[in-house]
Amino acid sequence: MAERNFERKSILDPAVADLLSGMEQRQVESQLPRKERERISRERAKIQARREQRATYDLPPSIRESIRILAEDLRLPASQLVTLALARFITDYSNGLIDLGKFKQPSRSPRYDWNLIFPDSMFPKRKKG
Amino acid sequence: MIVFAFANQKGGVGKTTTAVTLADGLARFKHKTLLVDLDPQGHLALSFGLQKSPGLYRWVCLGEPVDAVRMEIRPNLDLLPGDKQTEKVKRQITLSDFRETILSDLIHETDYDVVLLDLAPSLDVLHLNGLIAADWVVIPTRPDALAVDGVKEILTTMAEISRTGHRYRGYSILPTFFDRTTRETYLQFQDLARTFGERIWPPIPQDTRVRETAAYGKTLWEYAPHSTSIEGYSDGHQRLGGYRQVLGRMLEVINGRT
Repeated sequence: MAERNFERKSILDPAVADLLSGMEQRQVESQLPRKERERISRERAKIQARREQRATYDLPPSIRESIRILAEDLRLPASQLVTLALARFITDYSNGLIDLGKFKQPSRSPRYDWNLIFPDSMFPKRKKG
Repeated sequence: MIVFAFANQKGGVGKTTTAVTLADGLARFKHKTLLVDLDPQGHLALSFGLQKSPGLYRWVCLGEPVDAVRMEIRPNLDLLPGDKQTEKVKRQITLSDFRETILSDLIHETDYDVVLLDLAPSLDVLHLNGLIAADWVVIPTRPDALAVDGVKEILTTMAEISRTGHRYRGYSILPTFFDRTTRETYLQFQDLARTFGERIWPPIPQDTRVRETAAYGKTLWEYAPHSTSIEGYSDGHQRLGGYRQVLGRMLEVINGRT
């Protein structure tokens, strides 16, 4: 019969566990050679600097796919293409060139008054296969 | 009603600041809260920019009703202040019958939702009264060897009290003056987490705003609501530690989710 491993696990408050693992990681890093520590520190600074630029939105898969294909074709970062598209939208919206009214439907969510319902024809068709 | 005691036999671990901050936090959540100063230093009143006064002495020794001795300091928050006359309370309790439960009996005659007891860093009859009156004990501790020893002392006292039939709902250990960059803090924190597991609450980061707050007679929610000691450490999209998170844990205790 296979030997069972009954390991007793201590339950921690999630915030305590996260903090402890972060501190543990720093302690491990502090034992590394100086060059390695500096590299990790640079990487951490880079990640922290990019946090401000990060956002999460739900997008239709076909739009995501189109952006990915376009970015690959043009050999550009997808984020920069999306930045351009959004900047153009904000300018056009500010100049009254975009009317959201025709897409607006009342929302039942307590957080929002409206939803935008888009016709299928607005989105690029996804390639099969 | 639920009674919290803030206790550690080691001084300077942040008991008073913690009691003040969490009491004001609970009051902001519309809990009718009473904060009781069991320390003859009378620092609770000073923390709110008020003069020390013998509120506890008048309540326990002179038998005045709580309404006559309490100070209304914020919406939903009353203070029962103390001063050096608190020493006389100890003597009076020592000479009384049923002396262990005098404070508990008085507290349960009031109609507060939450009572917070700020205990002195000592082991005397008033300290025991505070621990016996408590349903939940919060033990603030600096992450250093001497303060952690104070935690063990309190737990030993609580175990002795439990043997007399008193039932605690629980206790929590609150690391204060937390500096996540030092090795000593890490080692002590790791040790505490290994020994006490889920009883460790998220720590309160070291923050100079806390010292300034007391000097202005304001609570941290008023003086520095976005300080590290309130909001904790930033870790990506989440915050770790700080009084806001600890207040959340306390509300879970009050609402019976712990």
